Amino acid sequence: MRFVDEFRDPELGKVLAGEIVSTVEPGRHYKVMEVCGGHTHSIYKYGIDDLLPENVELVHGPGCPVCVIPMGRVDDGIAIARQPGVIFTCFGDMMRVPGSQGSLLDAKAEGADVRMVYSPLDALRIAKNNPDREVVFFAIGFETTAPSTALTLKRARAEGVPNFFCMCNHVTIVPPLRALLDSPDLRLDGFIGPGHVSTVVGARPFEFIPADYGKPVVISGFEPLDVLQAIQMILRQLADGRCEVENQYRRVVPYEGNLRALEIMSEVFRLRPHFEWRGLGFISQSALALTDAYADLDAERRYDVPGVRVADPKACQCGEVLKGVIKPWECKVFGTACTPERPIGTCMVSPEGACAAYYNYGRYAREREVV
Amino acid sequence: MTDCHGDERCITCGDVAVEMTVLRVDTERDLALCEAEGERETVEIALVGPVAPGDALLVHAGTALQRTTA
Repeated sequence: MRFVDEFRDPELGKVLAGEIVSTVEPGRHYKVMEVCGGHTHSIYKYGIDDLLPENVELVHGPGCPVCVIPMGRVDDGIAIARQPGVIFTCFGDMMRVPGSQGSLLDAKAEGADVRMVYSPLDALRIAKNNPDREVVFFAIGFETTAPSTALTLKRARAEGVPNFFCMCNHVTIVPPLRALLDSPDLRLDGFIGPGHVSTVVGARPFEFIPADYGKPVVISGFEPLDVLQAIQMILRQLADGRCEVENQYRRVVPYEGNLRALEIMSEVFRLRPHFEWRGLGFISQSALALTDAYADLDAERRYDVPGVRVADPKACQCGEVLKGVIKPWECKVFGTACTPERPIGTCMVSPEGACAAYYNYGRYAREREVV
Repeated sequence: MTDCHGDERCITCGDVAVEMTVLRVDTERDLALCEAEGERETVEIALVGPVAPGDALLVHAGTALQRTTA
């Protein structure tokens, strides 16, 4: 595949690591947050944090939609999945997220027809192939995924598919970033901006971070050299006393984003007044619901859902992990009661969750350090 | 339970997007048959304008989000 080889070159990696070392100020501690779960995954998979000087700390942000879904929404999904005649479709990782009474996978084991799909279009295809059943797609994801759901809803309407419905859990990236920046227990020096969210929204929505909070943002790709270069660009801005939005991922991210995608999203979705984020609480205007024009395709209006707020398990510290206040291994149940096989918290479910990424890759390096 | 993407990554959480090459285009339905590493997928192309066989697209969850530069 193109893209890959030139962005995984170990020699260039060493050059970038050397540039990072020469850019940092000795004695100063740097905290850089990677917003996107894809970056968290890359950082642990390729051992990028091992290449950084000790005074450059990477903090894992809330950019994994599965990790921030509250238990109450999982319960609502399961309630719909258990309705007679319903085929409930979702992306694979969502099936393992624990609700208060088990996961969608548990509901499937108990007889609910829950199916994994790779795209909303797959769910629509299932609806067309099963005209006597009602097919619900559990939509989740940031602005990268929301256009795909929007296009599928438009297609369902255009093609007159009467048995396709959507339970919308799409979230938006800027409000949680603002909430994090306003959080008193977190001091950050800069952000690695989300690469593929930015293919849709562009770079402009992140301009408030340097403008209002004085922190640099560098939108980054997902290969190891992309992430290393983004870190170097952030540190360079700090060394120069600059703060601005820079785009390391220009090969796919235009500054203005994808205007057609934004237009379709605004036609299909409206902002919810507030939405609960696991670990971060309720954040205003941080999630999407279907507009009235698509009310007949809205699963939340079609089915009775409990809509109850469910508190996280007491032992789980996903909230602190998602805010970057503690590291995954500092959670009381990390790697013992909570593992990818039997997750208690959402951060352990998705490979992009900070805990699962650390469990799968990083813990070995830490074990070496301890020895 | 396997992950929802072959590279041990979740499509949505990692915002995983892959570069795919257009093989065939259905302009009436705004769909294209695309291929990456031997895998074929039907892709929504409404967000990227007219495409032709051989074009490279960045695809996420069955939708082309941008063209990529060769």
